[in-house]
Amino acid sequence: MTYLENAKQSDPVRPGEQWFFYWKTSAALWEGRIVQIPQHEVIFIPVYWGFHAESQTEWDFGKIQPERDLLRLVQLLTQHGRKFCWILPLTPAPYLPNGGVPVSAARTLSVSREGVHLAVLDQEQNLNKMFSYFEPKVFQSFGSFLKNFGAFLAQHKIKAPVWGAQFYYHQDLQNYSYHEDCSVAFEQGFSRYLKQNQTELTEAKKESELKDQFTQEVGNLFKSTAESTLAPFWMGTQRIISLGGSPKETILRSLPSGKSQLEYTKDLFHHFIHSDWISSSLLTPAEKKESLSWILNEHFGSKEIDQRYQYEALGGDLTPDFRPFGVIDLFGGKKNHHFRNLGLHHFLDRHFKWVYQSHDELPFTPEWIDVNHHKIKFFHGEDLDRTTFGQILKLFMMGQRILLDTSGLPEGLDKKLQIFLLENNLKSQSVNFMTSTQICELGEGRLIMFHGERLRENPNREKFWANIFRYLHLVQPEMLADEDVFSMWRIRATTPHELSYLDVRRVNIYNPTSYKKIVSIKTHKHFAFMKMIDPTRANAKSTPEGVDVELLPNGKIALDFGHYEET
Amino acid sequence: MSLNLIYHFHTSQNQDGDFKPASYGVVYFFSEQGFLEKDLLKEMSKTVPEADHENLTFLNLDDLKAFALRVCQETSEKEVRLMSVQDYNIGLDGAKDLKSFQTVFSKYGEVVVNESAKKKGLFGKLFS
Repeated sequence: MTYLENAKQSDPVRPGEQWFFYWKTSAALWEGRIVQIPQHEVIFIPVYWGFHAESQTEWDFGKIQPERDLLRLVQLLTQHGRKFCWILPLTPAPYLPNGGVPVSAARTLSVSREGVHLAVLDQEQNLNKMFSYFEPKVFQSFGSFLKNFGAFLAQHKIKAPVWGAQFYYHQDLQNYSYHEDCSVAFEQGFSRYLKQNQTELTEAKKESELKDQFTQEVGNLFKSTAESTLAPFWMGTQRIISLGGSPKETILRSLPSGKSQLEYTKDLFHHFIHSDWISSSLLTPAEKKESLSWILNEHFGSKEIDQRYQYEALGGDLTPDFRPFGVIDLFGGKKNHHFRNLGLHHFLDRHFKWVYQSHDELPFTPEWIDVNHHKIKFFHGEDLDRTTFGQILKLFMMGQRILLDTSGLPEGLDKKLQIFLLENNLKSQSVNFMTSTQICELGEGRLIMFHGERLRENPNREKFWANIFRYLHLVQPEMLADEDVFSMWRIRATTPHELSYLDVRRVNIYNPTSYKKIVSIKTHKHFAFMKMIDPTRANAKSTPEGVDVELLPNGKIALDFGHYEET
Repeated sequence: MSLNLIYHFHTSQNQDGDFKPASYGVVYFFSEQGFLEKDLLKEMSKTVPEADHENLTFLNLDDLKAFALRVCQETSEKEVRLMSVQDYNIGLDGAKDLKSFQTVFSKYGEVVVNESAKKKGLFGKLFS
């Protein structure tokens, strides 16, 4: 790591993901820090709303304390021609003392499901304690801040967009919002909620459902209030998972062994697969070293940030720049881990590791449809409504490959499907192998409908998925690697002297462990090994089947492959 | 080297007509190397037949201590510190940074000593 890279990572003012913590340094030093930031990077300014509290209803934006002078900060950014936006926390923010809540409203500490107070170690190893957003004072204070912040932006004609941020932590393979709370403040609020709705609790199950509903409603209240008060500037809401921010990680990070690079890498790849956006702002420089810093820079860096915050959109056609590459998208099915229970995740992890992603929603926009045209898309009938169902059929008509698990498909949609097949005179081919499957073809489009529930208990379901993917004929190099080796694929268009290829694929391979690892990549007559890039404690050699890679502890390498049609 | 166990006391409950007795549930169990494997804990909990092995809950504090000691013996650690969630929270409230947070695990809770590890001094280790 160069001196500059090292300095950048240990800077508490710029803790990662292009965030700028203005309150962490003297206002006199802002300009010097701003000019250090690369010109092309958008600067994200998280708003530490509690820091601006002068009293319960008075907010200071620089008249009293220079470090609160947001106008000066904006003027400096504008003067140096920097693009910037605000990040407004809509939940307790783990990187802020008190979670961002002003001292006057910080009354009740948030309590996790396990009963422990939510406290997080930040980059400078301070212990930030989260305070409950269910405390009525917090909402009053938040509302008052929003009004004043909105007026401040309008008065000074600051047009920078505002993004709302909901912060989450990751524990035992689940994401939990910092907004979730089991404290006395929550219980009191919940009692008031029950009284207001004249609901009586009879069953424990109902109580937990109502508590989830109440939590969600209060969360939405913070979001909608911010959205309406800051309407002219509002861009949308981002869900951000804070690496190292769970109660369990607070303990782990305090132990002499700390949290290992391997564990952080596992988390990062888990978030990538689940299309979660992350923040590394809590991690210390010692934690953000080697593998982790490489992965963050190479796959969660400036370009990905621009796409996530809609500063840049990928076009349908490949360009000479590498872009993330995946071949499969799973939509919904997260409830009860549906696709996992059908053995699909297990199959994908074995054959298409890190080239599939699961999403909560189908972003049915022309740009998205264009960019993701090549991907195979899985849907679970139970999660579909009329709109999404209509969109799925449109994707099929556009020539995309859709796999629809019809189990749990609402009756109305089932009828709609039959009418669609009849109206378009689509003949389906029925296959009965482990479960009933129907295949419709329309030009390049494929619509495969199967009854997933029957696969749930079938020990041989791996064969079902193998047959499906053989039929879909997915062309992808095969990677044979140990569980603790991680890889990420990217793709670009060919340059004029690479005309014989359809495209060029790059795989970045990382070994965050302290053991030597071997990776074998089989190209299956569709890919030609072109070159290796930037090997660090790693080596690669060409074999008749593809490439063999040797990675020493904390090693990494990137390999380029030319993709060609089989002759 | 020692172990730390943070537990939560659950009062008895009448849930959907089912009576659930009061219990002590394991929240976190860790050593200086990190969290102990859940499979190991489930296996060790079998030394207390009345325990709920799947959820790692115990009917009384003595059972929890017996389980903790068994884990201590299995991992050859000198002692295990048992701390209630309430004690942990009190410690947490008083901490403001990493250093003060680390002292929570030496200030609060009750220590159960693994006598077998204690007896095994240098000579014990040499001749075992």
